[in-house]
Amino acid sequence: MIGSKAVRAAFREYYFKQKLVEAPNNIEQREFGYAQFGIPGMVRHLSFKGAGELTATLVREVPSDVYCSNALYRFPTLPMQEKQWQGADLIFDIDGKDLHLSCVPSHSYPICSNCGHASPTLEKEYACPACGGKKADYVSIPCAKCIEGSKKEAARLVEFLSGDLGIAKDNIRLYFSGNNGFHFHICDDSYRPLDSQARSDLVGYLAGVGLIAESVGVRRSPGSDLAFVKFPRSGLDYGWRKRVAETLDIGASSTIRLTNIVKEKGGYSAFKAELDRITRQMGVRIDPQVTTDVHRVFRLPGTLNSKSGLTKVRCDIARLESFDPFADACQLGSTKVKVKMKTHAKARLKGQTFNIAKEEAELPAFAAVYFMCKGLAEAA
Amino acid sequence: MRCRFMAVVQNNTCLSIRLGTGDLARYPFLNEAGEYLRQSEFGWEELDRPDMADIIERAAERIQVGVSGKVYDRVERYETEILTFLVTLIMVKSIAMEPVLKKYALAEARRAEKFLTEDLKKQNEAQRRALLSKIFGDLFGLTIGTTEDGRLFKVKVTDYLARSSHFHEQEWKMINRLVSGGQVYLGPDETVRLVRNELAVLINSRVHAMSLPALPKAIKEKAEVLRIALAPHYEYTADAVTEYPPCVKHAMEVMNKGENLPHSARLMLATYMLAIGKPTDEIVKMFKNAPDFNERITRYQVEHLAGSKGSRTKYFVPSCDKLRTENLCFATKDCDGIINPTQFGRRRK
Repeated sequence: MIGSKAVRAAFREYYFKQKLVEAPNNIEQREFGYAQFGIPGMVRHLSFKGAGELTATLVREVPSDVYCSNALYRFPTLPMQEKQWQGADLIFDIDGKDLHLSCVPSHSYPICSNCGHASPTLEKEYACPACGGKKADYVSIPCAKCIEGSKKEAARLVEFLSGDLGIAKDNIRLYFSGNNGFHFHICDDSYRPLDSQARSDLVGYLAGVGLIAESVGVRRSPGSDLAFVKFPRSGLDYGWRKRVAETLDIGASSTIRLTNIVKEKGGYSAFKAELDRITRQMGVRIDPQVTTDVHRVFRLPGTLNSKSGLTKVRCDIARLESFDPFADACQLGSTKVKVKMKTHAKARLKGQTFNIAKEEAELPAFAAVYFMCKGLAEAA
Repeated sequence: MRCRFMAVVQNNTCLSIRLGTGDLARYPFLNEAGEYLRQSEFGWEELDRPDMADIIERAAERIQVGVSGKVYDRVERYETEILTFLVTLIMVKSIAMEPVLKKYALAEARRAEKFLTEDLKKQNEAQRRALLSKIFGDLFGLTIGTTEDGRLFKVKVTDYLARSSHFHEQEWKMINRLVSGGQVYLGPDETVRLVRNELAVLINSRVHAMSLPALPKAIKEKAEVLRIALAPHYEYTADAVTEYPPCVKHAMEVMNKGENLPHSARLMLATYMLAIGKPTDEIVKMFKNAPDFNERITRYQVEHLAGSKGSRTKYFVPSCDKLRTENLCFATKDCDGIINPTQFGRRRK
């Protein structure tokens, strides 16, 4: 299906014509990897001397997905233990599916794990109409709400990065992931040496995990669950303390209000649980694995995502609100391609709505490839 | 010698010491202290002079106090302190026992931590800035600023994370700090705590990097006395380790040698000993060779694991699976079929 000639041809045309592929800085120190159509696994430990060699390889190999390490290595082509890690850029991944939005079931299509039969969106328990199988993989075609949800998270992350961490907005590169989320690349060398543990602490900060009650002044009375309030000497003026203080409407000048809140909640433990709930809700939902992995290969900006045929494109932070991934990241051509739909499916791409109920259809390449990549159609 | 010292003191302008001499007494590891020695044309052979006996005695005492886990907190004039520090380094190098060096380096770091915390609290803005840029900037490449009111110190987020993420306490997680505009705001004691380990590492590496010339007799003799005095601390304890599982045996051997045992291995050792019913006092004693041993803290931690302090959760011995993932398993064929170290030896009977 994904290995179909039509999809590969569209990808080849893209890499031949497009100039969107971004060669990373320090390219010769990066490890590259790519996946091939119809072949499981990934070709890794590659290295390129320059942008020319990279694009030539893309045109020649036409990979289904292209990745590049956020790490810099002395010897990027050697096995992992021998590469000699020299640091890694700070990266973040916001994935729409981690937001668990309520709209998702209404645009998810079950594809039978046993026979590959695709069915329309479900309201009841799944059973494959073709083979009766009960297990399915779900393919989602993100809706406007999903994209809005991811954008909100992205905007919140920008706020944390520029406000709390003081990273200049010019150094925050935001990309649409090419499917259902956003990627961040931080261009700030001072983050490069941080190890996985330090990045994990940073993820905890951004995600709102691990704030102790004492940080906002609530302390446990020895030997009981009672609490007393004594604000930290450093105050509540910045960062998470400020966020929590604003949410609970407390100020460092008087302990009365906070003392009452803790009492209302039912003591130290109950307040702690409530605090944890508040901070997690206010934190950003980033994938911790991506940020803490300092040897990761991450999708290369400007390349195509084989889960959708959309491009990982740069998104201007100032114009995030008006960014439309289904137009801005939809970069494939419009040559007509005949497809056989596996089920009734709909999507909106480049401003056109494709609501395909019939079995066979002739669609512009960008739409045909989108449905084929999603596993909802195959080449006719 | 003393005349030469005095000449240097009186002619202070010729030294590029921007810090006060009191600072040099408290922080003899600063580059300026070395500069002072160079300018006073100090030579190794001078340590054999009779008037150096006091310095050598002080140095020996300082090492002994440090190795016992306490902080040597006496401070004399800076000439004495700089020389004493130098002599301690030479002695520790010549004792040539890694555990002694580690404990000594940590004790020196604690001593500096104590002085630094005090100084940062009481000095005026200009003095504080000089001290910060000297100690944090020159030694650790760390830029530290202060807030306008001078109450708090500012450390870059990346500098903070690189250090704090290795601390276990929740309060060091960045979310529990005041963070804004790329800076983490810390109190004086917290700022100093952030670099304490590095100071120990610095002292450690200085000793490692030293190449000893033929030692003056006075130092050689004193170092030999110390070596003998300190050695018994690292002999095997009376407990026969034969019936313990190999993972526990290994941890005990490392501990008995006075080497550093990772946190996870300490947890295994303590929970295992609790599980076989060893009394807390004896378990605490098992950790006395740890380079960072503090009886009060160890006792609390053991009692915490036993469920009698803190969260009141009783911790059990980690499973063999868990220990394997932490590289703490040293299984032998006697371990066949067990899934937890506490089962060792039971199945065979």
